[in-house]
Amino acid sequence: MLARRWVGTRVFAATEARVQLHDPLAIATSALVEGILIVFVWVLARDLLPYALFGSLVYSAFLIGQIVLSEAAYIRIEHHINELYHASPLSPEAYFLGLASGILLAFLPTTLGLFVLLEIVHPLTLPAFGSLLLILLAVWVFSSSLAYVISTLFKEMKALWSYGSLIVNLLGVPPPVFYPLTLWPEEWRPLAMLIPTSGGAALAEAAAGLQPLTGELVLLGAVSLALEAAAMFLFAVWWSHRSAREA
Amino acid sequence: MEALRGVSLAIRRGERVALLGRNGAGKTTFLRIASTLLMPTSGSVRVFGHDVTSDPDSVRPLIAVVPQEGKPFFHLTPREQVYAYLRARGFPRDKARRQTEWAIDQVGLGDVADRLCMTLSGGQKQRTMVATVLATEAPLLFLDEPTIGLDPFARRSVWETLRHLTREGSTILLTTHYLDEAEALSDRLYIVEEGRVLVEGTADELKRQVGGSVRVSVRDGMSLRERLATFGPTVSEDGTVHVVTGPERVTEIVELAMRGGFSATVGPVTLEEAFLRVVGRSIDRD
Repeated sequence: MLARRWVGTRVFAATEARVQLHDPLAIATSALVEGILIVFVWVLARDLLPYALFGSLVYSAFLIGQIVLSEAAYIRIEHHINELYHASPLSPEAYFLGLASGILLAFLPTTLGLFVLLEIVHPLTLPAFGSLLLILLAVWVFSSSLAYVISTLFKEMKALWSYGSLIVNLLGVPPPVFYPLTLWPEEWRPLAMLIPTSGGAALAEAAAGLQPLTGELVLLGAVSLALEAAAMFLFAVWWSHRSAREA
Repeated sequence: MEALRGVSLAIRRGERVALLGRNGAGKTTFLRIASTLLMPTSGSVRVFGHDVTSDPDSVRPLIAVVPQEGKPFFHLTPREQVYAYLRARGFPRDKARRQTEWAIDQVGLGDVADRLCMTLSGGQKQRTMVATVLATEAPLLFLDEPTIGLDPFARRSVWETLRHLTREGSTILLTTHYLDEAEALSDRLYIVEEGRVLVEGTADELKRQVGGSVRVSVRDGMSLRERLATFGPTVSEDGTVHVVTGPERVTEIVELAMRGGFSATVGPVTLEEAFLRVVGRSIDRD
C-alpha cells in the first residue's frame, strides 16, 4: 500500500528532467554564483579554494531547492499542471518527489563539474567521497522539501521570487559555507553545525581531512542534518497530500 | 463566501453534461469538488459510487481533468506532454505511444506535435491539454472550458472527439459559457447562476420552456414593452426587448415596432433566449 503511493515517481521525475533539459541555458548558469566565488577565491586567497569548492557543492545542492520552489510554483500558478496530475492516479507525494528528483537529475552536470574541480584541488578518499555524497543528498532533501512546501503557499510568482532568494542567501552565504568554520567564534560553531548548509560543509571538510572538528561538533552536525532532512521530507510528504486538495 | 448552494445533479454513464453559466456562477467550483481538487464544506459527491471527499484515491484513477486556464509544459512538445502524462498515470509504454498518436491526431496537432509547446499558439496549447486528457480514456472526463481560445474549426474538432469518446462509453462533464457549445455538445445541461442550479434539461426542453419558437427583438423598445408582452414572454436587456412568440404573430409585432420607429429582428428561439429567460440576463453580461 505504502509502495503504491510512490508509483509514478520515476516517470514524473523523467518528465521534469526533460522539461529542465529543454532549457540548457538555465542549467549552465545555475552555478554562476559558485563559479564567481571560486574565481575570486582563486585570485585572492588560493589556500581557501578547497573550502570554497566544498561550499560550492553544498550550496549547489541547497540551490536546487530554489529551483524546485520556482518550478513547483510556476507550473501550479501559471499552468495548473498540478491539477492535471492531482486529479489522476499519481499520488501527491509521487508528484512532489518526482518533481524534485527530476530537477536534481537535470542539474547534476553542474554538480559533477564542481566534483571534478574538487578532485583536482583536493583529492578525496573513498570514505570522504561517500560522506560528501550523503551530506549533499541530505542537504538536497532538506532544501527541496522545504521549497516544495513553500511553493504551495503563494498565489502569485512575484512574491515568491524574493522569499526564495532570501532563504537561499540567508542560509547559504553568511554562515560558514564558503569559508572555514574556524573563522567563526568558538561559541557560535554549534549554531553553524545546526544549519544544514554550514553544518554539511563543515562535516564534508572534516571527512576530507581539511579541517578538524571535535567529536561533539561532528555528532551535533551529523545528527541535526539527518534529523532536519528526515523531518522536512516527512512534513513535505504530508503537506503534499494535504495541499493537493484546496480547502 | 458561499460559492455553491444546494446544487444537486446526477450524471448517467456515457452522458455528456454541460454546466452552463456566466463567469463566477459556480461551475468551476463544482467541477473542482467533483474532481477531488477542492474540499467542500458540506454535501457529498459520488463518482462511480466512490465519495470524492472521503475516498479520493478511488476516484482519481477514474477521472481526468482539463483545468481552467491549464497550459502544457512549455518545454515539452505536445507528443512528449501527452506521452509523459499517460506514463505517469501508469500506462505501459506501447499503449501510451498508441494513445498519444491517437489523441494528437484527434485534435489535429500532427503538424506541430514535435515543436515545443512554448512556440505554439494559444489554441494549439489548449488542444494539447485536451489531447492529454482525451488520451487517458478515463471513464469520466472533467473539462473546464475546454475550447476556450480555440478557433471554430478546432472547437468543432474537439466536439467531435468528445462525441466519439461518449460513444465509446466515457462520461463527460464540461463547463462552458459558450451557448452553442452547450447546445451542440451536451445531452443534458444545467444552467448555473450564483451557485445554484436554476434549471436542467436538454437544450430542446429548455428552449420549449421559453414559450414559443420565434424571437423578435425590438431595439430600444422599452416604451413598447407592455404591448409587446401581450404577444408572449419578454426579456429586456440593454434597452432591447426580446419577445418570444409563435410564427403567426411575427408580422404584427414587426408592424408595431416599425410604426413606433423602432427596428426589429426576427430569428428562431435559441438557447440564448432560454438562458435570458431563466437567468434574467445575458450570459456575457457582468
